[in-house]
Amino acid sequence: MTGQSALRIAGLHKAVHVGFRRRRVDILRGVDLEVAGNDVFGLLGPNGAGKTTTVKVALGLMRPTSGSVELGVPGVSHVGYLPENPYFYDYLSGREFLGFCARLFGLGAERRRERVEALLREVGLQDAAGVHLRKYSKGMLQRVGIAQALVNDPELVLLDEPMTGLDPVGRVEVKRIIQGLQERGKTVLFNSHILSDVHELCTRVAIMREGRVAWSGTVDEALDEAATLEEFFMRTVTA
Amino acid sequence: MNQVVAIAVNTFKETIRDRVLAVIVVFALLMIVGGLWLGSISLGEQGRMMKDFGLVAVTLFGLVVAVFIAAGLVHKEVEKRTVFVLFSKPVGRAAFIAGKFVGLCATMAVVLAGMGVFLFLLVWAVAGEASGMLLVAVLMVYVQLLAIMAVTIFFSTLGSAILASVLGICVFVAGQLSHNVLALTRLGQNAVTEALSWVVYVVIPNLAAVDVKAGAVGESTLAWGEVAVWTGYLLAYVVVVLALAALVFRRKEF
Repeated sequence: MTGQSALRIAGLHKAVHVGFRRRRVDILRGVDLEVAGNDVFGLLGPNGAGKTTTVKVALGLMRPTSGSVELGVPGVSHVGYLPENPYFYDYLSGREFLGFCARLFGLGAERRRERVEALLREVGLQDAAGVHLRKYSKGMLQRVGIAQALVNDPELVLLDEPMTGLDPVGRVEVKRIIQGLQERGKTVLFNSHILSDVHELCTRVAIMREGRVAWSGTVDEALDEAATLEEFFMRTVTA
Repeated sequence: MNQVVAIAVNTFKETIRDRVLAVIVVFALLMIVGGLWLGSISLGEQGRMMKDFGLVAVTLFGLVVAVFIAAGLVHKEVEKRTVFVLFSKPVGRAAFIAGKFVGLCATMAVVLAGMGVFLFLLVWAVAGEASGMLLVAVLMVYVQLLAIMAVTIFFSTLGSAILASVLGICVFVAGQLSHNVLALTRLGQNAVTEALSWVVYVVIPNLAAVDVKAGAVGESTLAWGEVAVWTGYLLAYVVVVLALAALVFRRKEF
């Protein structure tokens, strides 16, 4: 997919109606975004900027009010997604949960078993594979969440705040997984508040503010305009 | 199809591992055993009293399980946001509803079979009657509850789990009475009330038509042809209600 567009969003608007009087709230006000194939793309912005909504609309979890989303892959069966603060079925073990996810993609029993065991190894959960998810720590849940996002060996991976709640060791592991995905030719888009991680992992970033993309470009371009990514981010969101 | 099976298996695991279900089933078994006491104080009618009381217990506790689990199935997925994981994968809304229903059907089959066999063995051991009709009556309770589960799942796509539970129970009660209401309004010879009761009769499933409890305890003879036709009607009713639930759920955003 290198060079091609993995995700193209044009003029995306999303409005919802809230409260008894159905007051209209515009969450997205014309988002334009393009993620190139084999890129690790960082979607930044303060809380309420519209990052999660953009990802949800891209996945079809929400319908756009107007605008378009084009996936550069044949469909959602080629996309992996980790939601923010993930919650999974706590009555299942890690192995059962990943097996369930693999089954949703129609993987046969043998292929499913191989894939699940490989993913458990990849995210370092093979020793806790038989433990119910209700007994998992936040970091373990995040790792099993990443594993379920990769169960279909997706071309495009959307990760919503993948570092949230992780200890330094967990963060290093997740960063290693993201780098591994890029090395295997995958495209990764992730939302994050942790700018040092974005600096370390991403080639391109977009900064969202009040439902729009306020700035988009490479990390190097951002660093040409400010001493640090944090300084550039603050300048963009407060401008 | 893969998705329906996967969701059904997951729903079965979810519901069968629920401790609340185990508690309800234990209470149901205790109530069935309580029928022994009723049987002991009824002269010469011990077997009939045990069967009667036992079938009522199976119906009531089956209803509690069906309604409360069905009401929470869809709602819990939305509230706990596990729908994000499901619908970011190639899972259709109709497959989700169908999978949830099939999984719950499997759980209800295990629960009712357990209670039914327990009642059968108890009546056999205490009153010396090996009544196969008891098991048939439990099977028909299952058919009634299929309709109630479908209706409750439909309501849970519209509103809260509590509202869905209450409406599910209301439909069960109305379903036992709808044919009586229709018969009564016909006696009144008022075209408007008769038309209204027809609407209710069509919308509310006629559960009494497949109720064979009276036949099972020997109080009446059963017209099996009619029971078979009404069973077919209830199964068709389930399909229509689930299709409506899928239509409503398709419009939801998460």
